[in-house]
Amino acid sequence: MSQKYNPITWRTKMKKTSQICQSKLPDNTALKQQQLPAYRLQLSATGVLSGFFATGAFCLGVGIILILSAKSIKEIEIKYTKICANCAELREDAINFDKECTCSIPFYLSETMQGNVYLYYKLYGFYQNLYRYILSRSNSQLVGTDLKVRLYLIWYNTPFFKDQSHNGTPIAPCGAIANSIFNDTIILSYNLNSSIHMEVPMLRSGITWWTDKYVKFRNPSAINLSSAFTGTAKPPYWSKPVYELDLEDTENNGFLNDDFIVWMRTAAFPTFKKLYRRLNRVQYFIEGLPAGNYSFNITYNFPVTRFKGEKSVVLSTLTWSGGSSLFLGLAYTVTGSSLPGRNYRLSNNC
Amino acid sequence: MALCAKKRPPEEERRARANDREYNEKFQYASNCIKTSKYNILTFLPVNLFEQFQEVANTYFLFLLILQLIPQVSSLSWFTTIVPLVLVLAITAVKDATDDYFRHKSDNQVNNRQSQVLIDGSLQQEQWMNVRVGDIIKLENNQFVAADLLLLSSSEPHGLCYIETAELDGETNMKVRQAIPVTSELGDISRLAKFDGEVVCEPPNNKLDKFSGALYWKESKFPLSNQNMLLRGCVLRNTEWCFGLVVFAGPDTKLMQNSGRTKFKRTSIDRLMNTLVLWIFGFLVCMGVILAIGNAIWEHEVGTRFQVYLPWDEAVDSAFFSGFLSFWSYIIILNTVVPISLYVSVEVIRLGHSYFINWDRKMFCMKKQTPAEARTTTLNEELGQVEYVFSDKTGTLTQNVMVFHKCSVRGRSYGDVFDVLGHKAELGERPQPVDFSFNPLADKKFLFWDPTLLEAVKVGDPHTHEFFRLLSLCHTVMSEEKNEGELYYKAQSPDEGALVTAARNFGFVFRSRTPKTITVHEMGTAVTYQLLAILDFNNIRKRMSVIVRNPEGRIRLYCKGADTILLDRLHPSTQELLNTTTDHLNEYAGEGLRTLVLAYKDLDEEYYEEWAQRRLQASLAQDSREDRLASVYEEVESDMMLLGATAIEDRLQQGVPETIALLTLANIKIWVLTGDKQETAVNIGYSCKMLTDDVTEVFVVTGHTVLEVREELRKAREKMMDSPHTVGNGFTCQEKRPSSKLTSVLEAVAGEYALVINGHSLAHALEADMELEFLETACACKAVICCRVTPLQKAQVVELVKKHKKAVTLAIGDGANDVSMIKTAHIGVGISGQEGIQAVLASDYSFSQFKFLQRLLLVHGRWSYLRMCKFLCYFFYKNFAFTMVHFWFGFFCGFSAQTVYDQYFITLYNIVYTSLPVLAMGVFDQDVPEQRSMEYPKLYEPGQLNLLFNKREFFICIAQGIYASVLVFFLPYGVFAEAARDDGAQLADYQSFAVTVATSLVIVVSVQIGLDTGYWTAINHFFIWGSLAVYFAILFAMHSDGLFRMFPNQFRFVGNAQSSLAQPTVWLTIALTTVVCILPVVAFRFLKLSLKPDLSDTVSARLSAWGWDPVSESPRARVPALRAAWWSREIPPPPLCPGGSGPPPRGVRPRRGPSPPPPGALQPAGEEEEGPAPLHAEARPHQLPPLGLRLRPPGGLRGAHHVRQEHAAQLPGAGRLRHALRLRLDREPAQEEERQPGQPPRQAPEGGAPPPPPAPLPADSGPDRAQAQNQKQKGPRLGPPLPCPGPVGRLKSLYFFTPSDPHPRGREPLFLNYTRMYRREARDLLGLACPSRRVRLSLICVCVWFHFVFFIWQVEGASERLLCCRRGGWSTGGYPPPQPPGCTGWLGWDPCPGLRLLVGPWGWWSTEEDLVPSESPSSP
Repeated sequence: MSQKYNPITWRTKMKKTSQICQSKLPDNTALKQQQLPAYRLQLSATGVLSGFFATGAFCLGVGIILILSAKSIKEIEIKYTKICANCAELREDAINFDKECTCSIPFYLSETMQGNVYLYYKLYGFYQNLYRYILSRSNSQLVGTDLKVRLYLIWYNTPFFKDQSHNGTPIAPCGAIANSIFNDTIILSYNLNSSIHMEVPMLRSGITWWTDKYVKFRNPSAINLSSAFTGTAKPPYWSKPVYELDLEDTENNGFLNDDFIVWMRTAAFPTFKKLYRRLNRVQYFIEGLPAGNYSFNITYNFPVTRFKGEKSVVLSTLTWSGGSSLFLGLAYTVTGSSLPGRNYRLSNNC
Repeated sequence: MALCAKKRPPEEERRARANDREYNEKFQYASNCIKTSKYNILTFLPVNLFEQFQEVANTYFLFLLILQLIPQVSSLSWFTTIVPLVLVLAITAVKDATDDYFRHKSDNQVNNRQSQVLIDGSLQQEQWMNVRVGDIIKLENNQFVAADLLLLSSSEPHGLCYIETAELDGETNMKVRQAIPVTSELGDISRLAKFDGEVVCEPPNNKLDKFSGALYWKESKFPLSNQNMLLRGCVLRNTEWCFGLVVFAGPDTKLMQNSGRTKFKRTSIDRLMNTLVLWIFGFLVCMGVILAIGNAIWEHEVGTRFQVYLPWDEAVDSAFFSGFLSFWSYIIILNTVVPISLYVSVEVIRLGHSYFINWDRKMFCMKKQTPAEARTTTLNEELGQVEYVFSDKTGTLTQNVMVFHKCSVRGRSYGDVFDVLGHKAELGERPQPVDFSFNPLADKKFLFWDPTLLEAVKVGDPHTHEFFRLLSLCHTVMSEEKNEGELYYKAQSPDEGALVTAARNFGFVFRSRTPKTITVHEMGTAVTYQLLAILDFNNIRKRMSVIVRNPEGRIRLYCKGADTILLDRLHPSTQELLNTTTDHLNEYAGEGLRTLVLAYKDLDEEYYEEWAQRRLQASLAQDSREDRLASVYEEVESDMMLLGATAIEDRLQQGVPETIALLTLANIKIWVLTGDKQETAVNIGYSCKMLTDDVTEVFVVTGHTVLEVREELRKAREKMMDSPHTVGNGFTCQEKRPSSKLTSVLEAVAGEYALVINGHSLAHALEADMELEFLETACACKAVICCRVTPLQKAQVVELVKKHKKAVTLAIGDGANDVSMIKTAHIGVGISGQEGIQAVLASDYSFSQFKFLQRLLLVHGRWSYLRMCKFLCYFFYKNFAFTMVHFWFGFFCGFSAQTVYDQYFITLYNIVYTSLPVLAMGVFDQDVPEQRSMEYPKLYEPGQLNLLFNKREFFICIAQGIYASVLVFFLPYGVFAEAARDDGAQLADYQSFAVTVATSLVIVVSVQIGLDTGYWTAINHFFIWGSLAVYFAILFAMHSDGLFRMFPNQFRFVGNAQSSLAQPTVWLTIALTTVVCILPVVAFRFLKLSLKPDLSDTVSARLSAWGWDPVSESPRARVPALRAAWWSREIPPPPLCPGGSGPPPRGVRPRRGPSPPPPGALQPAGEEEEGPAPLHAEARPHQLPPLGLRLRPPGGLRGAHHVRQEHAAQLPGAGRLRHALRLRLDREPAQEEERQPGQPPRQAPEGGAPPPPPAPLPADSGPDRAQAQNQKQKGPRLGPPLPCPGPVGRLKSLYFFTPSDPHPRGREPLFLNYTRMYRREARDLLGLACPSRRVRLSLICVCVWFHFVFFIWQVEGASERLLCCRRGGWSTGGYPPPQPPGCTGWLGWDPCPGLRLLVGPWGWWSTEEDLVPSESPSSP
């Protein structure tokens, strides 16, 4: 039938006959009559102004507290790309991958860093947030269930999944993130005097999220790790396979290595710092880091100059809110202090 | 179900031979099977999908889906698009499927009805769908006609049968159909079986009242007309059986041909929305291009070097190509600025509004048991923007219940009742109605007051007898006599019914009719007249005649018709009588009565015979039969003798004047388009208050030639222009269409004019070269009445306004003649009343009384518009806030099309997290209670001016969205750049950032919808809180261990919600973002409310201040006195100028006799002159006194305030004398305290009519009163006594808070009031009863001090840090500092502590020296 008909005539007829017995008066319910009990939102002067005052006061208070606490944080950052320029130069060329290069950076701490002290490495200009970079991992491999990355639905050829030089042996851990792991070693030593240099005791555990360490990353089950990883290749940029990351502590080896886990939690911005070590508060350091001369001994492995990046080490203390910067406190303060101003403007019509 | 039809070539002519299926087969006519369904089980999916993808939006999303399947481009998982798309498609498909299911059901039911078909000489039961063209079928009483049949014979004599055509045209009265004489004898089956006539007729068409064809049988030709046809859909009544020949079957029947698809109407918001969506697409492409360029540059500068860690994809060989791919990726990511849910949500909201209309008990007519019905669900918000209403008169404004009221017989007028003094008596003082008890057949309900007419009948006045004889003979009414003496008339038009009933009561009882005879009881004796011919009525002839032979054998033609037509065809000898009758006619028309002229003519036998021959020939003609018949009729209907005239009253419907007054107040222009004659129309205009005594002049255009019409229009324009009243009230038009040159001049015309134009003048005025002139003139008038217009002209007028004014038009009517107008206008409203349902079927909305129009427009329309606008604003806002974040992130992620959020969040944001609260707002929101929108009709104006959602508003909400996206992105960015978690781990990981941004976004948009929702019902609460709860529930579920263990690659965010949302920093960031996003909005709204409120703010603010319960309006607990005092701004105005009631304005047509007020009436205008006028916008004295009273809080006002009257003459450009007085609502600061304690407030107690002289203060205003006593005692200050020039009648207009008031100082009172109010509230808040200058100064000082302290504090903190790095501080003292922290990268985007950004620009300390980073030393 070429023409479409409107069946309305027939249907109205049917309706008519069916409704003849019942009244067509619509129900008298609040919903149908649009009379639902409701609160009418009104911006009353009292409400708005008092709201402004309250918010302003709150913001000011929080801002002051945040700024005070941010000011109590002691932080020191040393960029070492240029300090260790020779190492950086060496790492420019991939041929020198097996040549070791160390670098020592002395510095003076004028005040004691009280409490827990955290050691971070910080990268400038390293894009951990590229779309393809973030995707370049296999969570099912990292929980140990799919070590050979069979399940992973690879939309298109992702780099560092198969070792091209070894007939396509699957790489463990695969993907660009794992492959580009930060592999400098940073050791902080305390120079009590010119002759006595003691290594500051650092904890390498407890630097990851609990869920990462106990849910997201699991080693494949086997008698020992090396046998578990048979049939896989190490990532091309790695000097040793994943099951040799920490031979001393089995809980810190393989996929469960804390440094590895920290690296795998990709950063949101191209400049980021990641937790490297925590101060082990024993002996001299029970109060924190005492003032004095220190030096960082860095085994320089991670090349950053290729992409014009920079590296630095950061020592920092924390407060109740974590290592908050001044930004949040200032933002609160500015917001809070501009609110009374607004109130004032609204109310100064007298 | 059988397959019904195949495609056939168009027919030129239809041939069908009875009882010859083989012969008919070869034409392949459609069978009688109908199919209204669109799909069957197999075709449903493909066809429905195909139809759905014809929607641009759906195709667009399909395109996006395909893009996402390209791995190089895909930046989101496929499900982010497919889930919403499938959801939308599925909902639509289910709806379509249900619709189609019901269509299948009804098709089946219809197709399987049984009918008796004559096959092979015997009657057999057949299903309807098996009936073929050429079959003869038998119908029985009360059966539906199965196809379009040629009536062959029936059980009644002369092949007559009766049908009801309700389903076809909605008319419930019965109609007669008659078989042609040759076939009417074919009564038995055997003869019918031998019948082999062939019908040759027109091809199928949709004209219900026309049919032309011929029957060829036994070598002769018989003409066929519509009189011989039984159309499908009719029901056989009062006829035992009949036989018919199937001519058209199934889809070819007139019923099916008529049920075409109606034209799809779109609203202006729809069109605007489509434009905006296109703009957004443009914007989207721009963003895509910017980001693609960024990507190309980044890949070139950075990406190439970063390839060690992340090599390019194999397909990508250059930065340029990478940019190209990233363009498409960003198109996918950013597509959420135009979410698919927009269109669906809009439909849902409109559907909801339609249901509200259907459910409205206040639009339900108890008498007729008809609810209002929204037949189109897509036009609701347009109801809130109507500017022009075109109304039919009869049946729309009037009840269409006709009452025989007066008549003129041979120059004597009957019907008026005179009292003893010879004055016309009024309704209330009328004596008993005329007693018709002499006549046992009289209708008891018929009332007539003038006994002289009955006396004339009783004494046997021959003219009077002839007069009523005509009325009892010349009509098409059918009578039904269930019991002896109980007559029921079934008339096609109520006029006829009224006339025949009148004749019945006066002793000329129409008893029964057959095709050839009419039996009348004349004064108790039955007389049978032979009916020779009926010259039927149509719109062109505007008359009908019958030719009868009375028992004596005399042939006489009786004619009744419209006066314009009939008076021209009278015999010259009746000239004198004609003059008196014309006077009577004018008088009747002046009273708003419908008139008909009656005439007769004697015919002699030979002439009649000869004329009957010619008539037969004309009716046999195949071509132009109508015209030939018309000319034959015309010939006989000439030189008639005038008998008299009748006047029928068509009462106004209840509530019409109030409705019109209210709509006029709402700035809606009402044009009445009627077929009635000018006087009737004008009078109805007066009685329904369209024309009032305030109208300065009524221009009447009645010219018959182009030149005359042009001249009359020109004169009207000149008068308007020259008039001294040139103060503009045309502000609305000027604001809206400043560029429109056409109307700008005349719309500024003040004063009230009305235009009445006649049908024949209108024909000229609507010609192409004059239509603009006409429009210009008409639009400058307050009321326009077009009389004697044809249905086509109605549509043309609507089209004209629609085309040139760019305003929303609404046409309302009830009859078939309004259908074209209803279909043309933006919105068509059908009155489901007396005249069938054709208008209703063509309409978009239908209800049964005109007065419901006010509720439809002012309540439902206004709310729909408001809700839709709010919905759209918020919708665009939330999606921009959501999407633009990706744009900002692009600059930090190498433009790699990385999304900020988790992909599940992107999928669910629009369909789960934010859809329901905004839907609830779109469906339920109310700004002011419904009563208020009736009381303040000005509230309707924003819709007409399209203020709530236009391009400007769109940009504002877009800007707000972008602002929110900036904050939602950059605040967490600033925080995360440096911060660490409380266990020392990094905070700035991608997943935590995603969760923080998403959470703050959801909270921000939820708070925003909370602010936008003005009417918090339980449903709103449920949806808003529920959405937040669902967000967190889904967030935690998605990040849970369980899901991760099952699908480790799909749920990557495991543990994220738990650990991120446990961080105080994250919550502090979210809180700050919310505060910073929302507070400016609140502040802006608040400032707007206090500085430039619109009327709806004012009204709702009043409500809240008075604490009225929106539903019951009962005052709640005692309102705090102070607040009441702020709000009480109404007192009656001071007595008006002495001598105010001047002479009636010039040029106004004096009312001819007082017209009785309609039921539920208004106060007579005079009463209001003494009393103070109510305060409402543009008040006119006759309008709705309750309006003013409403504005006063129940319980009286506790304060008074000053009202100053000003004379318009003192204003620049004043001259608008009729609007001379303005109430300026002007309150001096301590106004309400000025009242003397003993002095009564100037306000009426609750419910009072116009407030009497002042009464004592209400007792509960204690504090206020106490305060008042402390104040200086001053008398109430009135404005300066002003000279009162001449004709100031009454208070005409009160300028009520209209921001667009053309008053040169129009905004001033408003402004003052509001700022003062808030000042007071602020004062109250600070606990300062009345701040003096000193207090104020100290307040300022405190504020400044506060500012100063924080300023210094911030700067100090910043500089201290700076100094610290200058001198090395605790960083690297002792050693040459490599590069002090906090001093690096001063310029650029490097994530640095916010202090630089925030403090730097102040310029206090950022000297050049400071900005230059110190030289970094080389490594040891």
